[in-house]
Amino acid sequence: MAESETSMVMLGPNDRLIGELHIEGNLRVSGTLEGQIEATGDVEVAEAAKVKASVTGREVNVSGQVNGPVVASKKLVIGRSGSVVGDVKVPRLVMQDGASLSGNVQMGPKVAAEMAASAETAPEMAAVGATDGQTDEKPKGKRR
Amino acid sequence: MDTQQAVAETAPFEATEDGVEARRDGSNKITLGPGDSLEGKLNYNGHVSVQGRAEGEFRISGNFDVANGATVKALIEGSNVSIKGDVEGMLTAREKLTIGKSGKINGDITVKRLQIEDGASLNGHVRMGSFENG
Repeated sequence: MAESETSMVMLGPNDRLIGELHIEGNLRVSGTLEGQIEATGDVEVAEAAKVKASVTGREVNVSGQVNGPVVASKKLVIGRSGSVVGDVKVPRLVMQDGASLSGNVQMGPKVAAEMAASAETAPEMAAVGATDGQTDEKPKGKRR
Repeated sequence: MDTQQAVAETAPFEATEDGVEARRDGSNKITLGPGDSLEGKLNYNGHVSVQGRAEGEFRISGNFDVANGATVKALIEGSNVSIKGDVEGMLTAREKLTIGKSGKINGDITVKRLQIEDGASLNGHVRMGSFENG
């Protein structure tokens, strides 16, 4: 594990998840996933992965197949073996040659502003949730 | 200094020929300079490069290039399309569409292959695949 504060969820090539997944951290999928994914960190869809879900993350990296809407608060990268079928809403989009995308694309500063607005409300919700249990998470701004 | 002269002698026309130039492969090319503008409908057998302003409808058999700083408000159809400027309108690339990091597209695109560099902007619907079904 690279960082102690963020969790990393990995789904191997033979793993399958059907349902709703919400994680505070990063996600890496190599298997099959159906339903809904929401990660506060980065989402990586590996080459062999088959994702039939709505995907929300900070930086989303697709090298496999994604069938569903994708929302990335920072950036979406579709690799040369990647395929996305669904609407995409991101401030920045990188597509490598060979990648495939079908759907409506919304991007640019307007989307970035929208994300920032929705991010402002998100920490409040997180703070409410944090009071329930003890969390060791320190405010990141004070760290060196 | 000798080499400079030699180059100037062996290629006397290429540099001076402005606008339309015949290429070695036989296809033609139109270049609209930064101060040039074009309004209307163009069906062209060759390549088109826009550095200025263009408005209308462009059906190009070859490649269509929109340079950084150029503004195009048009229906575009070309083989390989490269966008580094501002484009508004429907766009079709029979082969490949490349959106450079300074490129901006507002409109629906239909392409066979698509490459988007970081920093580029795209707003519209994307359709990818073969062109057999129109």
